[in-house]
Amino acid sequence: MNQCYSCTTCKSADKPLQEFIAGLPMETSHHRVESQSTKCAFGLQGVCCRLCANGPCRITPESPRGICGANADTIVVRNLLRAVASGSGCYIHVVENTALNVRNTARTKGQIKGVNTLNRLADLFGIQEEDVHRRAEAVADAVLRDLYLPEYEKMALTEKLAYKPRYDKWKELGLLPGGAKSEVFHGVVKCSTNLNSDPVNMLLDCLKLGISTGIYGLVLTNLLNDVVLGEPQIRFAPVGLRVIDPDYINIMITGHQHSMFTFLQNRLTDEDVKEKARKAGAKGFKLVGCTCVGQDLQLRGAHYTEIFDGHAGNNYTSEAILATGGIDAVISEFNCTLPGIEPICDQLMIRQICIDNVAKKANAQLKEFSFDNRQAVTEEIIDEILDAYKARRGKVSMNLMKDHGNSQTLTGVSETSLKQFLGGTWQPLIDLIVSGDIKGVAGVVGCSNLTAGGHDVLTVDLVKELIARDIIVLTAGCSSGGIENCGLMTKEAAALAGPKLRAVCEKLGIPPVLNFGPCLAIGRLEIVATELAEALHVDLPQLPLVLSAAQWLEEQALADGCYGLALGLPLHLGLPPFVTGSKTAVQVLTQDMKTLTGGQVIINGDAKESADILEQLICEKRQGLHI
Amino acid sequence: MKRIIVEYEKCDGCKNCSAACMQAHRKTAGTIYDLDLTDPENESRNVILKDAKGQYKPLFCRHCDEPECVKSCMSGALYKDPESGHVFYDETRCGSCFMCVMNCPFGVLKPDTVTKTKVIKCDFCVNAGGEPSCVASCPKKAIHVEEVQA
Amino acid sequence: MKYVIIGAGVAGIEAAKTIRQQDASGDIVMISQDTFVHSRCMLHKYISGERDEKGLDFTERDFFDKYRVHWKKGVRVTNVFPDKKEILLDNGQTIAYDKLLLAGGADSFIPPVGQLRQASNVYGLRNLPDAQAIVKEAQWAENVLVIGSGLVGLDAAYGLLERGKKLTVVEMADRILPMQLDARAAMAYQERFEKAGARFVLQRKASQAVCQPDGRIHQVILDDGEAIPCDLIIVAAGVRSSLACLEGSGIACERGVTVDASLKTSAADVYAAGDITALSGIWPNAADQGRIAGKNMCGIAAAYTDTYAMKNTINFFGLVTLCVGRVKEEEGDLVCIREDQNQYKKILLKDGRVEGILFQGNIANAGIWQYLIKNKIDVRGIKKDVFDINYGDFYHVGDRGKYEWVIESL
Repeated sequence: MNQCYSCTTCKSADKPLQEFIAGLPMETSHHRVESQSTKCAFGLQGVCCRLCANGPCRITPESPRGICGANADTIVVRNLLRAVASGSGCYIHVVENTALNVRNTARTKGQIKGVNTLNRLADLFGIQEEDVHRRAEAVADAVLRDLYLPEYEKMALTEKLAYKPRYDKWKELGLLPGGAKSEVFHGVVKCSTNLNSDPVNMLLDCLKLGISTGIYGLVLTNLLNDVVLGEPQIRFAPVGLRVIDPDYINIMITGHQHSMFTFLQNRLTDEDVKEKARKAGAKGFKLVGCTCVGQDLQLRGAHYTEIFDGHAGNNYTSEAILATGGIDAVISEFNCTLPGIEPICDQLMIRQICIDNVAKKANAQLKEFSFDNRQAVTEEIIDEILDAYKARRGKVSMNLMKDHGNSQTLTGVSETSLKQFLGGTWQPLIDLIVSGDIKGVAGVVGCSNLTAGGHDVLTVDLVKELIARDIIVLTAGCSSGGIENCGLMTKEAAALAGPKLRAVCEKLGIPPVLNFGPCLAIGRLEIVATELAEALHVDLPQLPLVLSAAQWLEEQALADGCYGLALGLPLHLGLPPFVTGSKTAVQVLTQDMKTLTGGQVIINGDAKESADILEQLICEKRQGLHI
Repeated sequence: MKRIIVEYEKCDGCKNCSAACMQAHRKTAGTIYDLDLTDPENESRNVILKDAKGQYKPLFCRHCDEPECVKSCMSGALYKDPESGHVFYDETRCGSCFMCVMNCPFGVLKPDTVTKTKVIKCDFCVNAGGEPSCVASCPKKAIHVEEVQA
Repeated sequence: MKYVIIGAGVAGIEAAKTIRQQDASGDIVMISQDTFVHSRCMLHKYISGERDEKGLDFTERDFFDKYRVHWKKGVRVTNVFPDKKEILLDNGQTIAYDKLLLAGGADSFIPPVGQLRQASNVYGLRNLPDAQAIVKEAQWAENVLVIGSGLVGLDAAYGLLERGKKLTVVEMADRILPMQLDARAAMAYQERFEKAGARFVLQRKASQAVCQPDGRIHQVILDDGEAIPCDLIIVAAGVRSSLACLEGSGIACERGVTVDASLKTSAADVYAAGDITALSGIWPNAADQGRIAGKNMCGIAAAYTDTYAMKNTINFFGLVTLCVGRVKEEEGDLVCIREDQNQYKKILLKDGRVEGILFQGNIANAGIWQYLIKNKIDVRGIKKDVFDINYGDFYHVGDRGKYEWVIESL
């Protein structure tokens, strides 16, 4: 008998990875899909309520209301609002830490790598400070001030950052958010036991949370990080498990907060630290990218060529990355750090270190990162990792996958780098869209999950279907990790595109799928969309632009999705977000939203059908623009 | 014949078997996501009973060796299929007398809630290849199909 | 071996099936006046026009071929000669048998009131020909009188109401379905029938009914003097076992043919099953008797033990009722009632045992009550509301996954 844990792993779009995982001697999330394949029908439909001691109550034909009297609409939308509020809270936590990092860096006269972005923000915010550090501090303060406002005071930067027609629409609908943290508070109060029972009222709150999440959690997090950590630059880089170089002390990073690595990533390349590594028998330290923080580092990789090995994979690749044996430590600061990596880390003697209390893992050491204590804690972390390296190397066998992924994935795409690539104006892209060489734009964003066909299966299949229809794909989130490992972000992938898009890609030397990086970069996609709309003098819903979170996974994705709906964009989901038990929720999300914001939810788990629907929508929007 | 074997000790009362049964016998096509859980026309053939101690006791048609429902059927709608051993129900023949409901000693059967014209009766998911949906849906594996001597 | 079965009702059909399963080679002859095999429980659906003759057939497709039963239909047995092991038919034919089953059922009882028995527009509702005649008469009859509001009377009433007839039902008791229901449950049906156009005259009986020169009764005078005009009269006053052909046969009869537990009559190799035995008037028991008699006719000992017959289901206008056991309340009963807009349930408990149930509106999963009643199970030890008792309280998964009843020492 072989040593594999069990042969019941789920499918992956990444076939070599699927085989690798199937052959592993330890259990991974991919193994657990089958044993969890029986799903609770009430949970799937969102009609199970556990909000009080009378519960859980479930909706059936014999029991169409919970004990309290809540019907399917109330139960479903209350659950949805909880999820959206929670997801929003996650992103607001990220932007808060990011803004604090900018402020602290500014106050300590630290390095400002993205002066252009800083100036862009300062201009938008109306900040006039000569000194770069004082300017950065003022920008950070403006963001923090908004985040901490009460719910009844509208945030000031919304208007400055949002596209005007959208802002006007939100104002008209009463969707302008108060303080972003307070909105989360408001949301969780609203959906608690026996408070709100009005499904439409709560759905509007979801949209409002979507707006605060999108503008602050997404757009601003990116830009604030660019200020301190550097702006993305387009380049080609290796991706996949191949990036792991066993000659180094390898640290897998997971989470969403690049700002928390600001100090550590520099310190690891200091000569004295490298010397420590050499003494231990390694060539030095390397960060191995995983999940969105890895995407962020990859995006800004031009600034970190020495310390950053490359992006190895998304959330559901993390176990495989560890199973190679080449990783000595995991530093995590947020989701999507799977609890399932814990036994693998134990087994392979991989040290787990958490640097943000909110994402403390059961068997990890908490080395809480604080700016004031950054030096001491960083040294502690480095020593821990050195310890781990010394303890495990030689004892743990390597199971590397040197051919996995590819060596030339295009990365570093952002709203500024892409525009720069096009010659400093969007006109070339607009021309291509008008001429039909590019039929439209699809943002394939969000997570990776294991249930929509398997690991990245729907996402990758959908992307292939879309590019074959001459629809250019922009990605952000863990979806990017899967798509890049499958080779769709290499120049060669142009061959998979439809004839027109293929010609464009070959002419420009780019893949038909452009990676904007982490899920946070959905905010960057929105900036691109807004600038295109501005150039065309139309509102966002009129653009031949669709969003798909084909394999959405988490509550954060739902908050992102609400942002997409608030922007008035069609939003495709591979699996329903536990709302189908409510006829009202389904009606509002899939139909009424069209007249409300211009957006709509499309739920379809089939790649071809989904692509057909999205293509149809793009064609309708093109007709609307008379192109 | 094949029979659904119940290990009630494993039952958590999640009703997934009931939802799966409704899904398997719904009139309109669709997925478990859009099964209308508020429509009384969607009825489950199985039911989770509870005894006085609160223990769940799942009730599934036994497709009895000597089915009392068939023996009491005055229209010929209920019959025991000699090949599979399963007790099937031909709705078109049913006279809606519900003597089968009266005579099932375990109380498995019931009239349909809305029209009271037909009996709600397990068909072993014969239209889905004879693999009962309830069994496939049980997260605790409290029910399984076993070949028992006819 | 030659088996002769008189009657093509459920007792005869089930007996034939059972015999064929036991004896692959024997000859089976079935003799019936009926020319269609039909379920008597569905005659109301024939009258209402919901089903045709074929739609009343309760047997498997190709029953007679499949079980190789030679069916002589449309003939009546006039005599049985147990000594010669022969029967005589009304067409003069004589048929010999090795084993004989008497399953000829029963006939409607027309009480000797006025000239009801003589009139040509008075019918019982027992057989398909009755229903056919009623439908024929109903084509022109405007006023219909139904005498008796038992299940048969209401079957007839239901069928004719569906045809849009004006209809009066006369009942001696103070409520309809007096054998099955209490006043509350009866009223629920009465209201539905009234809404459909029926008029009920309770606590009255027919006292005069005179044939006119056309041979028909055009009005019936009740005991309070009310005259009810009628073109068609249906009498539902019970049935009497069809014993006519047994006259002079020496086979012992009382109300019905006398049988022992193996359903054997006093004559050698002669058995009886179904309504002719007068043991029970309900379908499942007749079917059971047929199967048991069939086994015994094949030499396989079987006893008719599940004789419980105090059970009925009723379904008119979408209102279902199940009643098992005693309906009438007695002194010492603990009467439990659960009632809401959708259901009315009554349980009669005596000394911790369920003696009768009446469930109306909701009879889901109610099959267990018959078991509890006929086995006189003490339910006092079950610490829950009596209405919440279910099979879960007696649950056992036995051999081969069969459910079994476990009665804990309560």
